[in-house]
Amino acid sequence: MNRKIMSAVGVAAATSLALTGCGGESEPAAAEGPVTITLAGWDFASTPEFQTLADAYHEANPDVTVELKEYPAGDDYDTALTADLSAGAAPDVFIVKNLKNYVTFTEGGTLLDISDVAAELDPETGGLESMAVDGVTYAVPYRQDSWLLYYNKALFEQAGVDLPDGSWTWDDYAAAAEELTTGIDEKQVTGTYLHSWQSAVQGFALAQTEGASIDGGDFSYLAPYYERELATQEAGAQPSYATVTTNELTYQAQFGTQKAAMMPMGSWYIGTLVAEQESGAAETFEWGIAPMPQLDESTTGTENTPVTFGDPTTMGINAGIDESKIATAKDFLRFAAGPDGAAALAEIGITPALIDDAAADAIFSLEGVPQDDLSRFAYTTHETLPENPVGPTTAGIQTILGEMHSAVMSESTPVDEAITEAEERVANEVG
Amino acid sequence: MTTPVVGRQRTLGFSQPAPPPPLRTPRTSLKLRNALIGWTFILPNFLGFAVLTLVPVFTLFYMSLTDWNIFGTAKWVGLDNFARLVGDKSFHIALGNTFYYAALHIPITIVVSLSLALLLNQKLRGAAFFRTVAFFPYITSIVAVAVVWNMLFSPEFGPINQFLSLFTDGDVPGWTVSKDWAMPAVIIVGTWKDMGYYMLLFLAGLQTVPGELQEAARLDGANAWQRFLNVTLPCLRPTMFFVTVMVTIQSLKVFDLILVMTDGGPGQATLVLSQYIYQKGFEQFDFGYASAIAVVLFLICIVVTVVQFLYNKRKEA
Amino acid sequence: MAARPSALQRSGRVLLYVVMIIAAAGIMLPFAWMVISSLKLNNQVFTAPVQWIPDPVQWRNYFDIWVKADMVTWVRNTLVVSVAVTFLQVLTGSFAAYGFAKMRFPGRDALFLLYIGTIAVPWQSYMIPQFQMLSSWGLNNTLWAIMLLQAFGAFGVFLMKQYYESIPDSLSEAARIDGLSEYGIWWRIIMPLSVPALASLTIITFVQTWNDYLGPLIYLRDRELWTIQLGLQSFIGEYNAEHALVMTGSVLSVLPIALIFLFGQRYFIQGIATTGVKG
Repeated sequence: MNRKIMSAVGVAAATSLALTGCGGESEPAAAEGPVTITLAGWDFASTPEFQTLADAYHEANPDVTVELKEYPAGDDYDTALTADLSAGAAPDVFIVKNLKNYVTFTEGGTLLDISDVAAELDPETGGLESMAVDGVTYAVPYRQDSWLLYYNKALFEQAGVDLPDGSWTWDDYAAAAEELTTGIDEKQVTGTYLHSWQSAVQGFALAQTEGASIDGGDFSYLAPYYERELATQEAGAQPSYATVTTNELTYQAQFGTQKAAMMPMGSWYIGTLVAEQESGAAETFEWGIAPMPQLDESTTGTENTPVTFGDPTTMGINAGIDESKIATAKDFLRFAAGPDGAAALAEIGITPALIDDAAADAIFSLEGVPQDDLSRFAYTTHETLPENPVGPTTAGIQTILGEMHSAVMSESTPVDEAITEAEERVANEVG
Repeated sequence: MTTPVVGRQRTLGFSQPAPPPPLRTPRTSLKLRNALIGWTFILPNFLGFAVLTLVPVFTLFYMSLTDWNIFGTAKWVGLDNFARLVGDKSFHIALGNTFYYAALHIPITIVVSLSLALLLNQKLRGAAFFRTVAFFPYITSIVAVAVVWNMLFSPEFGPINQFLSLFTDGDVPGWTVSKDWAMPAVIIVGTWKDMGYYMLLFLAGLQTVPGELQEAARLDGANAWQRFLNVTLPCLRPTMFFVTVMVTIQSLKVFDLILVMTDGGPGQATLVLSQYIYQKGFEQFDFGYASAIAVVLFLICIVVTVVQFLYNKRKEA
Repeated sequence: MAARPSALQRSGRVLLYVVMIIAAAGIMLPFAWMVISSLKLNNQVFTAPVQWIPDPVQWRNYFDIWVKADMVTWVRNTLVVSVAVTFLQVLTGSFAAYGFAKMRFPGRDALFLLYIGTIAVPWQSYMIPQFQMLSSWGLNNTLWAIMLLQAFGAFGVFLMKQYYESIPDSLSEAARIDGLSEYGIWWRIIMPLSVPALASLTIITFVQTWNDYLGPLIYLRDRELWTIQLGLQSFIGEYNAEHALVMTGSVLSVLPIALIFLFGQRYFIQGIATTGVKG
């Protein structure tokens, strides 16, 4: 195979090392002459990752053109892609954006078996392992965001509260939030901000609680997490769920315009915040990232590996692809999920599934990204568990848990009652 | 355009030759001819309608008898999906909420939009402006509508509650984030959004009420309310039937508004059938089951419509 | 209004106007919020409590939207689709309605119920089978699909049929005796008398097509084919959203419809009563 090594931003050494594993056996070499494969992505204007991967691959393989097909962002991507898949009109390669739909896609026969591609990838690739369904892999992660704690250094100083040091449990976090709120003492500025998504509570509970599972029928592990959030909103240390939803607050505005001193959010926000500070959409202030608070002290501190959550974003091949293009498509996946793709993504501030030192260097060399050690530790060291573990019942259970989330956070239903109700509904409706 | 003057023969480019005098035509062939002409009127629309709507709708009915995840082939399961509905608590909740919404939204919308139409059908200064204003909620983007009403309803910061708390000592409803108040909130916004639309339909209908009848009633000493009951309302019957059927069906399948305002929440407090269909179909890929729910919704609508249809026929006779 | 108004009537009228103006202001509030938001910085759109006065005022959003986005293309596509759909819906709907309202033939009522019945089926439950069908004809990712989707709906037929029924049969009887064919009666007699209904059908169909989001979302992929609603949604990205621009675009997309309505609305109130026909 005549794959050229991408030599972007001095990552050549690392990439070439990892590359030695592939080539050789696999399928017959990609079709002769120019080949075009199509790739489904979303919202290209503000999501450059697809174009970046396509360009990087084309540069390495001038014979192959990756043509992008644009879909809308958000949940609409799934709706539109579902329609196209059902009508046989979907592109050759597409993003499995929502992990909870993965099993349906595989059961529906829409994805090609790409276990051979998965076998060649670095086993360190975030989320790769969990993509195997009965030993067969149909999609490989190329991007893996994890949740981190963002904090505003200026507001911490103003309140006279010590900066996060990686040793925090959730109780420390809650105490700091209240201390910050009283310390800052400004109208409409709170110690922390929790967005309205169900994952912002449930994702951590599921990842950090020993033995917790989404399909085990027991949701008692959610209780302490909900009680803490309710107490924090009761104390006025974060905007209430009612306010967040009815005023449609955006997390970008809350943190970016210094309305909140802390905020748990996914690593994608690094790129957004850097860009917004540059454009002036966000105010200019010094910020940092810290590991997420932990359930107990067994995983806190920089000598341990903090546990957080995040779903990988994965890529699979349309089962209806033209046979002559399969080899090329697989090669593209190998590229995108491998070190070359990782380097290309990191360069534009996106967290690849494979975070090696080169990728981390690339991210932290971007202007505006905090340079302190804890930020780098938080970014590179964590055990990230999926929010949507791959399983046939995940989608159904998440709907029920989502409804439970709004009932609890709006204080319509007490925590214990809501949990019992959700358990009953799962037993009754899913399966 | 002027009304044709009765008594003058007209030849039209596309018209058929004048029908032969009825006396020489046997009844059956006249009937046949009528049916044929009737069909030529209906056909252009019906062709498009049959292919583009009826075919997919029949497919949907078939899918309701299968297990289908959209992608693979559908597996015949007979009435299993319908049997499953019997024990599905979420379905019952959605059904109940749908009736709750419809039971309030239908009468309120009809009363409000008819009143608006009557008011704005008068020769008022600025009526054109007010008619446009009343129509505005219908053309404003539904996202903006949801956003603004949610802000107005905001329990902590919303002006509605700030106003209410003047009278209630701070004991105010939680509106869209409260289980008990979310549905009333959605009904208020639904009515507000739809009133201009139905007002428009009523306005068109009001133009068929002959002015001289009104005048005659007035001369007979009928007051405004009597004139409305005995002149306006009977003349408005076809429009009333149309509006009632439409507002009923639209209420029973309300979707967009709830999706953007509350997304069915909090909990399942505002989960309605259309949304449940979408949830089952596009979030959980249980498309056979989703189709079965759609069929149930269809049957409910059709029963209500047929009742209205028969009632209307009886009144007509 | 007959007679001269008494003092009581006059003060009643003043009160009526006060109430109407207050109601109008309330009704226009969401639109006002759209305008206000379109003059804000992006991160000021959603705040608690609501900020009703933009500071600083961002007029440039109204400039940016033409530069940053393909607004011209979106407007063109939306206009093409809306005009085509409205034309087909009004023409075929009013034509078919005549068959249902004024002709008698077996199966008419059943067929009519079938029409109404389809209104009762939520579109999102059969949009996939419909999409598969149109795709198999190669019509996905074309504007044709959007036109076909909405042009032959049952709504227009229903609306026009109900209106025709309120036109006295004596009119068409007289014309029939005069030798006018059924088509002639439809075109020469019924249509001119149905202007208010035609006007409402036109505006409603136009608005529905203009504001449709789910249809274009399912069918249209290429940027060159996007409609306004689809295009505006593209401002709401995965990790950041240009809310101020969305509102700017929404204001711009509402204005033409509002203007059409404002200037076209005399047609809604011009019917039998004003054409001087005696039934």
